[in-house]
Amino acid sequence: MAEPSPRPAARARWLAYAIVAAAALALGLYAFHLLPDPAPGSRDSGPLLAVSLPDVDGQLQSLSQWRGRLLVVNFWATWCSPCREEMPMFVRAQATHGAKGLQFVGIAVDDAAKVRQFAKEIGLNYPALIGGYGAMELSRTLGNSVMALPFTIVIDGKGNVVLTQLGPVRPAQLERLVADFL
Amino acid sequence: MPKPAFPESLRRVARRARAPVASARALVGALILGLQIGPVLAQVKLLPPEEAFRFSARSLDARTVEATFAVADGYYLYREKLRFSSTPAAIAAGSVVLPPGKVKEDQFFGKVETYRDRVVVRLPLDNATAGQAVTVRADSQGCADVGVCYPPNVQSVTVTLPVSGGPPGPLIDANPPKRRWFN
Repeated sequence: MAEPSPRPAARARWLAYAIVAAAALALGLYAFHLLPDPAPGSRDSGPLLAVSLPDVDGQLQSLSQWRGRLLVVNFWATWCSPCREEMPMFVRAQATHGAKGLQFVGIAVDDAAKVRQFAKEIGLNYPALIGGYGAMELSRTLGNSVMALPFTIVIDGKGNVVLTQLGPVRPAQLERLVADFL
Repeated sequence: MPKPAFPESLRRVARRARAPVASARALVGALILGLQIGPVLAQVKLLPPEEAFRFSARSLDARTVEATFAVADGYYLYREKLRFSSTPAAIAAGSVVLPPGKVKEDQFFGKVETYRDRVVVRLPLDNATAGQAVTVRADSQGCADVGVCYPPNVQSVTVTLPVSGGPPGPLIDANPPKRRWFN
C-alpha cells in the first residue's frame, strides 16, 4: 500500500498550530479588552488633596482632611450603571476597614438631589461630594483622558498615588490594596 | 538490500507515537505565547465619546436631514437619552421616530433600550428652505461593555439642504477621524 506523502500531514499540523496560535492571540486580545483600562495618572496626590467640594448638605469638604489614611477617591454618577454596581462593595469595605484607616470618598458628576436619593438607597457610609461636570474635568487632569466613569484614585497614607483606574475596581484589587497599604 | 537496523515501518510507528506529544507541546506553547502577546498588542485605550459614538448627518431632500450614529464595537447608546435639534430650521415637533433599540434589563434602570452598531434617524424640518445650511445637534449618552459610562455628550454637524428635487447631500462627520500614526 502506498504511504501518503508526509508533506500534507505536516502542512495540516502547521496549519493547526497557526490556527491555535491565532485563536490564543485573539483570546488574549479579547481578555485584555475585557479588563478595565489602567489609566496612567500622575503620581502626585497634591492637586487632588487640595480640592474642596460641597457634600450633599452643601458643606464644603476638603480632601486634605483625610490625609494619612488609605484614601479611595471614586468619581461616579447616578446615571452610570457600572458605578452604582461597584459602590455596595465600597460600602462594605468602609464598614470593615474604616477603623483601620481605609477611607472612601465619592465625587459625583451629578446633582445633589439625585446623589442624596441614591446614598439613602444603598446606605452610603462614606462622604459623597458633589462635583457636577467640573469633576469630570478634574478627573481628566488626574489621568482620566477619555473622561468616562467610574474612575478611581487610591492614595496611601504617605500621600502616594498607588492606583489610578478607569472602570470598576475588582474585589481582588481592593483586597490587595487593603493587604498592602493598611 | 541490507535490512535496516531499525525498520522504516517501525520508525514511522514511533514517529506517529511521538507526534501527539510534540503536537500537544506545540499547541500549549502557541497558546501560552498567544495569551502573552495578545494583551501587549491590545493595549488599546478606551475611545473618547465622539469616537465611540460617531455622529454624522446628510440632507436627504430640501426638508429632511438624516442623522446617523455609528457605534463602535463594544459600546452602546441609550435610546431614551438620544435627542436631536436643529437651527435655523427646527425639527418638526413630534416628527422624529427613533427606531426600537435592543431591550436590556438593567439592574438599576429597569428595561432600557440600547443601540449598537448603527442607528439612523430621519429628521423632518419645519420652515426649511432649499439650499439652506442647517446645523443638527445630537445629545447622546452611552457606555462601553468593559464597564464604563460616558457623561451626556453633544455633537453637531452642519449640512446644506439640496435644492428642490436635488440629490441627497454627502454624509458629513461631526468629528472627522484623526490620523494617528503612533497610536
